Amino acid sequence: MHMADALVSPAVAGVAGVAAVGLIAVASHKVKEIKRDDIVPLMGVLGAFVFAAQMINFTIPGTGSSGHIIGGVLLYALVGPWAAFITLCSVLIIQCLIFADGGMLALGCNIINMAAMSCLVAAPLIYKRIYSGGRGHAKWRIWVGSVTASVIGLELGALLVSLETELSGVTALPFGNFLGLMSSIHLVIGICEGVATAVVLTFVESYNPDMLFNYFVDKTDRKINGRRWKNVIWAFVVIAIIMAIGFTWIASENPDGLEWSIGKITGDTELGVASIPSTAFMPDYDSTFAGIVGGLIVMVALWGICAIIFRKRRVAYSSSEKKND
Amino acid sequence: MASKIEKIYMALIAMEKDGGTDVSPSILVITFLYLVAVLSVPLYAPQKLIWLAAYPIIASEVYGIGYSRILYRSLWILPLLAIIGMFNPILDHTEAFRINGLLISRGWVSFISILLRGVLALQAVVIMVTLTGFLGVFNLMMRLGFPKVLCTQLLLTYRYLFVIMEEAINMKRARDSRGYGRKSYPLGMWGRFIGQLLIRSTQRSIRIHRAMKARGFSGVFPLVSIKGWDKKAWITFFGWIIVIVLLRFVDFSYYFKALIRN
Repeated sequence: MHMADALVSPAVAGVAGVAAVGLIAVASHKVKEIKRDDIVPLMGVLGAFVFAAQMINFTIPGTGSSGHIIGGVLLYALVGPWAAFITLCSVLIIQCLIFADGGMLALGCNIINMAAMSCLVAAPLIYKRIYSGGRGHAKWRIWVGSVTASVIGLELGALLVSLETELSGVTALPFGNFLGLMSSIHLVIGICEGVATAVVLTFVESYNPDMLFNYFVDKTDRKINGRRWKNVIWAFVVIAIIMAIGFTWIASENPDGLEWSIGKITGDTELGVASIPSTAFMPDYDSTFAGIVGGLIVMVALWGICAIIFRKRRVAYSSSEKKND
Repeated sequence: MASKIEKIYMALIAMEKDGGTDVSPSILVITFLYLVAVLSVPLYAPQKLIWLAAYPIIASEVYGIGYSRILYRSLWILPLLAIIGMFNPILDHTEAFRINGLLISRGWVSFISILLRGVLALQAVVIMVTLTGFLGVFNLMMRLGFPKVLCTQLLLTYRYLFVIMEEAINMKRARDSRGYGRKSYPLGMWGRFIGQLLIRSTQRSIRIHRAMKARGFSGVFPLVSIKGWDKKAWITFFGWIIVIVLLRFVDFSYYFKALIRN
């Protein structure tokens, strides 16, 4: 479900980024309130665990997104909502920076689509209610809760990916087809993730039940799931309003936001081009093609010139690479 | 699967030794601005996008990484981007331009744009990570005011990847040595395998954490030596900002055409 940078417009990425930063700030504050000795190593090792699990992924054709499990419900069941959110955020940031999985600018979108939807929406509102709905924690509750919450979390994420891509205006695939493709694939992934989560959780409950998050003791969870769960809904309403306002601006990005701003200032969307008559670089060819060919030639020349000028600087990196080999 | 775990483990160890020569907070901001510049180029104007390649070319050479290395590291994403954009040429047949009578559709133009956007964005991130080193990026985030909880979590996740890998390799060895030649992992075994891996690594990570606390770990990792915003950093920062703004807003292809025509 990781969105690449090539898939989002800066405006969509910016709006989602603001929402993500806000949620991270709240979550960081909430995590500090958790009174559990082993929360720090638990979050670290679970982050690594989910990271490894997310490595098994595949690209969904035409959507610019990948299909894989998220692990939000598993994290929620073990460390609670806010710690799960921070853990999943750290996984997404590492994937982006180290393995280039998901774009750096699209990180906000990825955090909202995956971490927020599964840890802060699907898991607290569905898994927790099913799991702690009656007396005793029967295994079937874990199974039903995991599968339902995983499917709904992934479907919500798929819906947001489709919306964000549509608003960015990158893919030619119509919104309906895009959403259909994404949701059908993520329905299957959701069921698989739910089963995998349930298997692991039932194993943990059998062998080390202390590891499971105690919903009745931890106050941070009560703030989400108890009488004050409405606060979370309100938080999402505010985020939705911010995103809606942002998206309305994005929807009219023709010319795009940056060029629009420049156009407002200078009266033209390009700096300095108005004075030059539109001439054909290659008589029969369109300016797009000529521009690409011309640009490529110049870039290769630039590379050559830079390589010659700065050739002496390369020593440090080439020697460190040899050491690694 | 098991050999893949070992490969990833070795790759992580190799990464530890890489980079870290120029840890300056400005590179994070510059990379971010460059990404905004790349992604803000309209989808049907790849001729503008290609000029933005000047940043990774100049930066990689100026910082002594070498553009060939950056290009090599970024090309693996092309098949992925091709899968992303494959529907554009199929669905969008509107004419964009003709080359000697051959019709090129807007779908193909946007397809090229998607490839360029993806590769350029990745190159900028690769340059940043190569310059700062993987752990340097997390330190920069802390320096730039990201929550300490998140930064500590990032570093611990990265560190505990090794713990998970080591436990997985140990379990794989145990299974291989007691599997009587059977290399396969039956489906019914996966639940117990993964559950046990989780419990084992958690218990080990808790022991590691206790050892860290016993040696004075207060819950926050100390910052590595990061260059501050000195005079040189500011000059470099504004230099790159000017380059990126020029590359984004000045349509060099027009000037280039005018130059060729004259």
